[in-house]
Amino acid sequence: MKPAQRILIAAAILLPAALAQPTVAPTSEPVGSTRGDNWSDYNIVDSFETGYRFRTFGGSFDQYRSTVNYGDGIRLLSSFFTMNSKDGHGRFFDEIVLTTQGLGNDPYQNATLRVSKNGLYRYDMHWRLNDYFNPGLVTDGAAGQHLLDTEYTTQDHDLTIFPESNLKFFLGYSRGNQNGPAISTIQLFDNRGNEFPLFENVRRVRNEYRVGNEFRVFGVRVNWMRGWEDFKEDSSYLSGQNAGNNPANPTTLTSLQRNEPIHGTSPYWRAALFADRKYFSANGRFTYVAGNRGFVLDETALGIARFGAAADRQIITSGVAQRPALTGNLTLSFFPTSKITVVNHTAVYNIRIDGNSVYAQFDNATQSLQYLQFEFLGIRTVANETDVNVQASSKLGFFGGFHYSDRQIRSIEQSNVQGTIFNAPSEQSNQLKSGVFGVRLRPVKPLSIIVSGEIGRASRPLTPISERNYHALDARVRYKLKKMQFAASAQENYNVNSVSLSSYASHARTYSGDASWSPKDWFSLDGSYSKIHLNTAGGIAYFASGQFFTGQQSIYVSNLHVASLTAHFDVRKRADVFVGYSHTQDTGDGRSLIANPFTDSSNAFYAAQTYPLRFLSPMARLSVRINQKLRWNVGYQYYGYNADFYNNLDYHAHTGYTSLLWSF
Amino acid sequence: MSLLRGLSVLILFLSALLLDAQATPSSFVGSNVCRTCHPDIWATFYKNPHYKSIASGKETPERTGCEGCHGPGKAHVDAHGGKATIVAFSELQPKQVLDNCLRCHAETLSRANIRRSAHTLNDVVCSNCHSIHKSPVPKFLLAQRQTDLCYGCHTDVRGQFSMPFKHRVNEGFMTCTDCHNPHGAFAPTWRMASRPRMMDQALANEEPCLKCHSEKRGPFVYEHEPVRVEGCETCHYPHGSANSRLLRRPVVFTMCLECHNGAGNFGRQNGGILTLTPSHNLADPRYQNCTTCHVRVHGSNADPLFLR
Repeated sequence: MKPAQRILIAAAILLPAALAQPTVAPTSEPVGSTRGDNWSDYNIVDSFETGYRFRTFGGSFDQYRSTVNYGDGIRLLSSFFTMNSKDGHGRFFDEIVLTTQGLGNDPYQNATLRVSKNGLYRYDMHWRLNDYFNPGLVTDGAAGQHLLDTEYTTQDHDLTIFPESNLKFFLGYSRGNQNGPAISTIQLFDNRGNEFPLFENVRRVRNEYRVGNEFRVFGVRVNWMRGWEDFKEDSSYLSGQNAGNNPANPTTLTSLQRNEPIHGTSPYWRAALFADRKYFSANGRFTYVAGNRGFVLDETALGIARFGAAADRQIITSGVAQRPALTGNLTLSFFPTSKITVVNHTAVYNIRIDGNSVYAQFDNATQSLQYLQFEFLGIRTVANETDVNVQASSKLGFFGGFHYSDRQIRSIEQSNVQGTIFNAPSEQSNQLKSGVFGVRLRPVKPLSIIVSGEIGRASRPLTPISERNYHALDARVRYKLKKMQFAASAQENYNVNSVSLSSYASHARTYSGDASWSPKDWFSLDGSYSKIHLNTAGGIAYFASGQFFTGQQSIYVSNLHVASLTAHFDVRKRADVFVGYSHTQDTGDGRSLIANPFTDSSNAFYAAQTYPLRFLSPMARLSVRINQKLRWNVGYQYYGYNADFYNNLDYHAHTGYTSLLWSF
Repeated sequence: MSLLRGLSVLILFLSALLLDAQATPSSFVGSNVCRTCHPDIWATFYKNPHYKSIASGKETPERTGCEGCHGPGKAHVDAHGGKATIVAFSELQPKQVLDNCLRCHAETLSRANIRRSAHTLNDVVCSNCHSIHKSPVPKFLLAQRQTDLCYGCHTDVRGQFSMPFKHRVNEGFMTCTDCHNPHGAFAPTWRMASRPRMMDQALANEEPCLKCHSEKRGPFVYEHEPVRVEGCETCHYPHGSANSRLLRRPVVFTMCLECHNGAGNFGRQNGGILTLTPSHNLADPRYQNCTTCHVRVHGSNADPLFLR
């Protein structure tokens, strides 16, 4: 390949990565370009980006770890390897694709691998790691008491035998692991006791095995899969001597130990049928998941109770829970003319949660053994939807539909009335009817305009904030030329419920726009802006200082503005420069101080009505070509987080990297 | 007489069909002819998944190589090129593009609902997201990196993933298709009707959140009903939020109380959802952080009030 071609290709490599990449590294790689080296009957493309990340910060390190979390150190920022047979008749394989990102010590790492041989097999692997840190519910300014510092890894393996034939076989395996320390809380020894920190060593494992097959018979394609998902949690808990969160409360804890293993499995079946013809198509799906979990909770707490007496308490709970869930779907599509599509979809869903459990509690010298009724919960939903899509002309199209669903919730809960325990069954049905309508316009080829709406009415939803009376409007405009693209959208989601005690209303409006301009190969510009407005008012009822308050409202107002601007340009085809800026700001409800001018019991609600903040992040990257196979990169990104009312979580961080990208 | 006329028409129609079927193979010229004028596309076509149709040598002409998608090329060759003499996707209406691709790709589980998907209804079809000849990503022939592709139209979602608290999509840990099926989805098994749309369900019928958050799957002795009935979105924003743990409110008690207000027509038997007891003095900050005591809000095996 000529050097000039390589330069052009390298520029093409960097362009897509530069457009919208929020983190400064790594640089993504393309495929399909005429590059790489030929070896035997294969073409090989390879690249590695290795470098050093650095980070400095000030302010709340916890919040930084929770929202960004990049650290120092050497990384394999990214790698890319492909090997393709040029005639499609490789001996053992025709394609290998291997990509990695962040390996070494980045908080977000992933690797993908595909190996396939045409007509014989295809293997896909996806491995991921997330170093997750959350300091807990700290946005109200108080010290968060629920902390999680875990590492989550997940991997998926899928093997398809005879992928291009009418008789396919599927094998799959997935695994998820979550491990690490956590802090939670426990409330002891009675309902007016104290709360204490509880240390936890999280250990969760999920394994899923899949086997399936697809074949064609009498013109119908049949696909089935059998799977087993096993879940195991063996987290251990511990708490030492502690005076509790509320010093005024005399309840203290001397020691606490808890073991709470949970093991379960979710075996499932899935079967599907497909038939596609000139004037109709039919798809059916049936699934059945028979989930169950066995659980034990063994907890021993020693300390001093609220009235000064020694308290020792042991609780043992065990049982097996079952959760069979069945789903059936049928989608029928009709194409009476080339311009009309009618689709009817029917869905049935039924789940039952039931089981058995035993609960035993021993307090000091007294013993009590209680058998608790497992609370039954059953949900059955039947839905039917019909949508019609008409392309009236090349410039005009429209669609409409009617969606209906009926949901029945049954439950049996245990009630205690004056010491007598009995089972209280209940049943509730809800019908939702909604209509959708939309118009598509394309007055000139590059311009498309789409306006659509949905209106829905539910007869008896479960919660006050569920969608009972809602409507949604959506409008989108897109103008696309070869070197310029503009898109804008406006959405409105209104949920206006009305109930006897209180009302709940949620008004969400989103306006967004995006523009891209690439006038030259060496220059491009991309900008986007979104305004996400939300205001809700929900009726509340609560006790404060012994008085029961009703008729008040919990109000929440959020006015989020999110903007980003990126620019990319080449300098004499030797250096590639990318600069960007991202700004997120919630202006709240307009107030500048959290101070509450009122002194009544609504203080707490007034303070929580809005949460203005700023989160901004400028970034820059420079990539310089050293020779045909080597580039030197350097990048910098700043993160600044600032909450207007609670600045104990504010932080600023400088992150960056320098790396070498070697490719051929 | 009319019967005779009807039979004649039928015979003519069948003859036309037969003739058409017989004429079709001779209209195909083979991919080797196409490469003469389109060497740039051919140069890397062996990396394209569609190359398998050529490599196998077993497919019929109308399902092989270039003409598998672009139709018979003889007229195009005879006319020395031109978009009018071949199936040029840039000239097709969205529905024609969809129909063309579905000739081979219709009978798959992931595309079972493509005809009723929000994308199809909004004229977003295969060629809007897939670039058959110039894909810059190694899988699925996507026209861009997946997140950039989705953000192109869903600018508001890009904004949500720019929030301080978010699922790690921009960072590469997750992708949009971990939770969504861009080809359309079956009706969700939580919530009702088609809302939310385009979700890719876990274990074939569950909310996709449970793919990773398996510990929330239960079943629990004491289920928190809204979690199971309405889904995780009752309390959480799935994409991103200004609030910790992707919550819908900056503090937890306002969120809990919006449902636990005893309002009639809701909850079990329309009796209203449980209100707080007098021991919960909301004027005391101790009671404003509900989850300090009610730690198992997603469901508990030991306590109906989710205390352990």
